[in-house]
Amino acid sequence: MIRVNGDPLDWREGLTVQGILEARNYRFPLIIVTVNGQVIAKPDYGTTRVPEGAEVQVLHLISGG
Amino acid sequence: MRQLRIDLATCDEGRKTCAHECESACAEKVFKLGDPARAALHIRETADGKGVAYLCDQCGDCVVVCPAEALKRNKLGVVMLDKSLCVGCYICIGFCEKEVFERNPEWVTPYKCTSCGICVKACPHAALEIVDVPEPAYRIL
Amino acid sequence: MIQVVFDPSKVMDIDITKRTEYHAELDAARASRKVLKEVAFTPSLPDKGYTNRTLHVDVGSLAVAEKPVTQQMKDIFIGGRGFGLWYLWQAVTPQTRWNDPENEIVISSGPVGGITQYAGTGKSLVVTLSPQTEIPIDSNVGGYFGPLLKFSGFDALELQGKAERDLILFIDGQKGLIRFEELPDAPVDSHVLGEVLTRLYAENEADLVNISVVSTGAAADHSLIGMLNFSWFDKRRGCVRFKQAGRGGIGTVFRDKRLRALVCRGPQVKGDLNHPADFETLAKIGVKYHKEIRENDPHQCMMRRNGTAHIVEIMDAYDLLPVHNFQYGSHPETHKIDSAYWQSRCAQQTVDGCWYGCSMACAKGADGLVLKTGPYQGHMVTVDGPEYENAAGLGSNCGVFDPDDLLELNFYCDTYGICTITWGTVCAFIMECYQRGILNLERTGGLDLSWGNAKADLEMMHQMARGEGFGRIAGLGVKRMKALFIANGWGDPQLINDIGMENKGLEYSQYLSKESLAQQGGYALTNKGPQHDEAWLIFMDMVNKQLPTFEDKAEALYYFPLFRTWFGLNGFCKLPWNDVVPKGNAQQPEPHKIPEHVQNYVDLFSATTGVKIDKEELINQSARVYNFQRVFNIRMGKGLRQHDAAPYRSLGPVTEEEYLSRQERYDGQLRTELSLDPDAMTLQEKMAAHRQWRTGRFEKLMDVVYARRGWTRDGVPTYARLKELGIDFPEVLEVVRPLLGDPA
Repeated sequence: MIRVNGDPLDWREGLTVQGILEARNYRFPLIIVTVNGQVIAKPDYGTTRVPEGAEVQVLHLISGG
Repeated sequence: MRQLRIDLATCDEGRKTCAHECESACAEKVFKLGDPARAALHIRETADGKGVAYLCDQCGDCVVVCPAEALKRNKLGVVMLDKSLCVGCYICIGFCEKEVFERNPEWVTPYKCTSCGICVKACPHAALEIVDVPEPAYRIL
Repeated sequence: MIQVVFDPSKVMDIDITKRTEYHAELDAARASRKVLKEVAFTPSLPDKGYTNRTLHVDVGSLAVAEKPVTQQMKDIFIGGRGFGLWYLWQAVTPQTRWNDPENEIVISSGPVGGITQYAGTGKSLVVTLSPQTEIPIDSNVGGYFGPLLKFSGFDALELQGKAERDLILFIDGQKGLIRFEELPDAPVDSHVLGEVLTRLYAENEADLVNISVVSTGAAADHSLIGMLNFSWFDKRRGCVRFKQAGRGGIGTVFRDKRLRALVCRGPQVKGDLNHPADFETLAKIGVKYHKEIRENDPHQCMMRRNGTAHIVEIMDAYDLLPVHNFQYGSHPETHKIDSAYWQSRCAQQTVDGCWYGCSMACAKGADGLVLKTGPYQGHMVTVDGPEYENAAGLGSNCGVFDPDDLLELNFYCDTYGICTITWGTVCAFIMECYQRGILNLERTGGLDLSWGNAKADLEMMHQMARGEGFGRIAGLGVKRMKALFIANGWGDPQLINDIGMENKGLEYSQYLSKESLAQQGGYALTNKGPQHDEAWLIFMDMVNKQLPTFEDKAEALYYFPLFRTWFGLNGFCKLPWNDVVPKGNAQQPEPHKIPEHVQNYVDLFSATTGVKIDKEELINQSARVYNFQRVFNIRMGKGLRQHDAAPYRSLGPVTEEEYLSRQERYDGQLRTELSLDPDAMTLQEKMAAHRQWRTGRFEKLMDVVYARRGWTRDGVPTYARLKELGIDFPEVLEVVRPLLGDPA
């Protein structure tokens, strides 16, 4: 299990940042993702594997009218 | 459209003996300024001596983004700035991918290359030329 | 992360220059033109952002007076909304009502307003006593009027008094003339009137861009929710475009004064008309920002492609898009009105800034709409936007998912002079009342206001514009409709109050706040009423879980309303602050504040005015005006804790179907937040437990936020806070003394 913004999410082998965003339906483009405190660059979302037990923070910035 | 081009190999070879006459000619004859840094083209050197040319290819991106319609192509296809319409917003500078839309701190209106060819005449090594090429399609930015 | 990709080949092939033209209307207006009075003035350009004078116009007596801008005004009130509030304070008494002649409409841009090097710098701030809330309303609007007014010679324009007949006020900043005119045969609605007046007052084609018109439309005459359109001439389209000072009924006050339009003809705009203290800094920050837009916007919000409508599908995905009067947060048909559609429907080969230099360019335009109803049936028009608020308010919140219907609603709101946000929430309330039997065909005079019936929605709007039928009642706004429906005995008073989404008399804007306590405060604990321009905290609070404690929420409800108030003091737009993010932002401390952009604003202010500030002083500048406005509300008999109360629909599920639609979430909260066992409870018990929990925590939020803001438990700024801010003027202290007691 990992935590995403403080809430639990089931972990599976090969889980990537992209996989987390899809699982949570996080579609907002202005986000900052950290895995165990480390900022992950956007181009690496699809390839960055998230380890079991990780603390993931998906920080949504603000947008809109 | 008239477009300024450079043969970088010739330029690299020639630059061993030249004094950037292209830039000086542009600054002096076009802008009446003594400072070659104020030219509308730049030839810069990387650490290994290779030249990098900053030349306007008249791509027209600046025409697309100008909110005042101060930038238009003339009959020769060259993008010209109408200073009387320019509002000094510099979107043209920020949106120029070739980084050749420039500003002089002394002026409110920016400036760019007009493919006039003075630099071509000034180059002692004939590395520069003006060519006639088709206008690129309008690009949505 | 799923993001819409821009595909130029999908953009509809619409000729952006084609639309119905109004030559006959122009000829008729010209022929009927009558000059009542002409006054000369000396045009001047600003120095370091200020012209140092303002213009007071009494539209009743046609008296014109110039006033100096004092150093105290600059130090305390800065400009824009600050100047508006200060002038309005002096113009009115606690007894003044919105339709008294002494009520003013004040328009002011602000010291940085009108610079052309940075995005979002052409805003006008409009302040008046609102017919809806009976306290000051402030609205931040694009278009060229504010900057052109300043470049003509005035930092602000005060409009006071009432005219006897419809009046046009023309300020010619090129010739130095102020003229009062009558144009009895001029059209009424903005899309025609704006076009006609722009062409009437421009001296030639090249002069069209120097004209800006402020106008409203027919519905402002018969409703309390009238809006003002601020124009600019769109060179590429060859037509007049508009941005709206929407909230709070300013257009209604405008018409009550018998103003038909304001027209400003400014000088040809140049890059340095503000005569800033340090032009070089403005230029450098501007170029850096434009480059940032070019590089980052296509991969971030795509504001240049979609405008604010880019968040329609995002709000839907996060269960935040208001559906059926804020009952639900998503809908299966949202894809019909999402940004992929607007991207193809809005022209993409043009420049869409509402002031020069806006590289964010969110002011999209949908051209070539042929109207199906109303007085302009068959006309081909260009519609502004739609912005997110319009797509959500006129669309999903009313169950309208046909984009052409949505555009037609948007168009008529604009040309009739009604706020689209307000209309969205008004109509959503009416539709829910209709669905629940509070209204029926008899009570609406035959309008079948079922969810999604855009025809009936439009007809109600046409009625309002004609001053007839149920449309007239709709134009009263949600607060007065609630009272009327209850007085008529048409439904359960508690239900009507729960589902009527207004606070202080202003309708909520278009975000679902049920799952974000901080945003419930962001809406209800505002000065002017529930508009998200003070604070939008839903992601920080609900999604990011960055605000776990009451103190965290209170800190956000201290900082963001003050930070965002500052835009309105200076003539800025909020969007360029955080709708694009610079590279490296993620590595910054407090990345959600976009620190590099905050620094841009600090530098833009200092470079324009020559007054050096830092990011702390920026907040203090806002705090002075914000707290002054709170005291102003108190002076008008409002502004206390009771006036910050929120309708329960904004806090939690009002009805059984709302609860059941998100049962898993609500049941889960009973377990985790309240340690209750939902399986052992009836639906009614569960809803009651939620209500008690949710209203209780909202009350607690008020306590903590008031304390953080330096206010008493009743929401009154303390003597210490007023003194600290330097706004402890005798007339301010006089207002709070009866509530605070004598100072210790």
